[in-house]
Amino acid sequence: MNKPVSTGSARRPWLAIRKDLTPHRQLFLTVCSFLLPLAIWCLFSYTPFIWHPDMKLEISADRENVTVVYTAGDHVSKEFFPTIVSEVQAENVQILANREAGIEPSGSSSRIRRANQKILRHIATFAVEKGWLPRNDRENDQAIYEIWKAVATDKIPDAKRRLTNENLAIIERNWDLLSTRSDVFNSRLLPETPLEKLVPQGKAANPVYLPDPHEVLLQGWSLFTADLADDETSMSDRYFHSLRIVFFGFFLSCLIGIPIGILCGAYDFFSKLFEPFIDFFRYMPAPAFSTLLVAVFLAHDAPKIALVFVGTFFQMVLVVSNTTRLLDESLLEAAQTLGAKNLSLLRRVIIPGILPNLYNDMRILLGWSWTWLVIAELIGVKSGLTEFIETQGRWRNFDAVFPIIILIGITGFLTDQFLSTCRSYLFPWTPESAEKKRGPIGRFFAWVINRDVYVSPK
Amino acid sequence: MSNPHTVELPSYKEQSPEVARHFAEIRERPVKLEIKNLCKTFQNANGSVNVLNDVSLKVHRREFVSVIGPSGCGKSTLIRILAGLEDATSGSFLLDGDQPHGPGADRGMVFQSYTLFPWLTVKKNVMFGLEVAERSQQAAEAEAREWIDLVGLTKFADAYPRQLSGGMKQRVAIARALANQPSILFMDEPFGALDAQTRAQMQSHLLQIWRNVDITVLFVTHDLEEAIYLSDRILVLKAHPGEVLEFVEVPVSRPRSPQQFLQPEFLATKQRLEELIHPRRDIEEEALPITRMTNVGDEAE
Repeated sequence: MNKPVSTGSARRPWLAIRKDLTPHRQLFLTVCSFLLPLAIWCLFSYTPFIWHPDMKLEISADRENVTVVYTAGDHVSKEFFPTIVSEVQAENVQILANREAGIEPSGSSSRIRRANQKILRHIATFAVEKGWLPRNDRENDQAIYEIWKAVATDKIPDAKRRLTNENLAIIERNWDLLSTRSDVFNSRLLPETPLEKLVPQGKAANPVYLPDPHEVLLQGWSLFTADLADDETSMSDRYFHSLRIVFFGFFLSCLIGIPIGILCGAYDFFSKLFEPFIDFFRYMPAPAFSTLLVAVFLAHDAPKIALVFVGTFFQMVLVVSNTTRLLDESLLEAAQTLGAKNLSLLRRVIIPGILPNLYNDMRILLGWSWTWLVIAELIGVKSGLTEFIETQGRWRNFDAVFPIIILIGITGFLTDQFLSTCRSYLFPWTPESAEKKRGPIGRFFAWVINRDVYVSPK
Repeated sequence: MSNPHTVELPSYKEQSPEVARHFAEIRERPVKLEIKNLCKTFQNANGSVNVLNDVSLKVHRREFVSVIGPSGCGKSTLIRILAGLEDATSGSFLLDGDQPHGPGADRGMVFQSYTLFPWLTVKKNVMFGLEVAERSQQAAEAEAREWIDLVGLTKFADAYPRQLSGGMKQRVAIARALANQPSILFMDEPFGALDAQTRAQMQSHLLQIWRNVDITVLFVTHDLEEAIYLSDRILVLKAHPGEVLEFVEVPVSRPRSPQQFLQPEFLATKQRLEELIHPRRDIEEEALPITRMTNVGDEAE
């Protein structure tokens, strides 16, 4: 019996050498190419047993006679974490033993009260993180006091789950002492005997340079929406500042580079006059000129724009001249037999002929100028997005660094996608644009740029 | 050896009175193009190659001359020198009595590779030469339309070259060259890239255009039938170095039609050209050293 032959994509293999997939499959894979790295990132971030070599401290405590202070939010290695815990536990044992034995604490009573106030505050960051305490009350002793009370008297249902039994017991024991003195916070009415310290508590985490996706997302959101003091630069100002440097540098380089490139490609005279030196010069890395550029153009934006210019200009001349030379020579011959000479040949054949390839070259070179931007913004007076990346990176706030890096990536990617979409409308005669389907916006745009519409019929 | 299928052909030099009168008429017309002792030598790694050696000829106004020859005989080089795209090593040529320098609008050229400007529509392609000559936009457009109508592409005036078939592209190229009103049109194997049917169509198109337009044509081809079908005279070149073997007057009467392909004069001319281009010894079939790989009794021939 013959099986019915099924048609459609179901029987077509996913892997076939040099065969195009169906549009649905192509779209699916395109989405996957972005989701896959994201999924790997999530996998590493949210699955504790995959990597997580560190402990991120949620509750921390000072240790006596140790100068290195860890606060909540710090990362310590998994091997080192038990040491801190046992040190604090040992201190607590000592405190309890002293209290049992009735040994008078050394130091004045006011000093002990201050120390106790500090111990109370150790719960603040944890409470804020768990949503028990508003962020603004982070340093509000009254509110923190209420948290101790609430935890000790079981007012917070969450507490039993979030805190270790050890810490719960400590809180209850401490509250017993506190409540005998006062029901609300009063710095004068804090116990005059040392309170037990909260035992450090933490969760497995990746190193600080690999923040979780949600942290990056939230941080990115807050970077752009945060209210700033007057003297601070807002992130969108930084962003537009960076954009301005990239596009200005690139524009200048186009303004000079493209005409020279075309002349070099068209005339052997210019090619031999300019190209050998430019070919030599492009091997000198643009950042090597940074101090020189600062000396010439002083601080602020001018040397930065100049660096982007130096970084792209020399490549541009060579790329453009090469593109010009790639123009089919027989077109030039045909134009000559039709009477075109020098300038009209340049204007009517060479320029329109190379324009689509030139457009692609510019897309690639615009990507290059983003690379130079990062170096450019570090020279002279640091500025823009890179300054932010630099300072945040030094403070190891990598959750603030990632959004900016991703922002630069997205900007470059979207610019390129936009330019690539425009290409088929600007050059409707190229074979690539013929294959593209146009939506209503595209058709409208094509109608707008169609010059024939404006020419009145005879 | 007598073969029952061969027919006795007349000499290709025998001309009917009508054809003889036609040639007499041509000879009376002014000389359009005169080539005098043209030589071309290329320098390459192995020394110099003599591509054209002492080529001389005269072409009269409104004459249709074809250039044929084996590959490497320099027929394309000859036409490129005349179009001004290459320089001759020695010798000269006169167009309407003047020596032109470099390429120019007075000599139109149609290439095998179409060479339409892909960024211009058909109409704009045809207008190219007129715009270069700085004719007014309206005049150029009106003229271009006439030429487009003449080659039968009215409907495709606003199409881009990539939307056209090979034959249509070549018609645009011809219209573009003619719109400039050159005094001579060079065609370098213009139909070489077309399929047989389109090629036949294009040949009759070209004849119709030539009949209606005051134009002298120098046509390079490697297709003997095409050369006979189109031309008044055929310049036969030999290779290494490229020299004139013979300037054949085609004895086939005008107006030409595809039916004439089987006329004795046509066949006689073709036989003569074959003799000139492929001397007998080349045609001897050599047995290829192939082992028989089919069953006995499974004969193809």
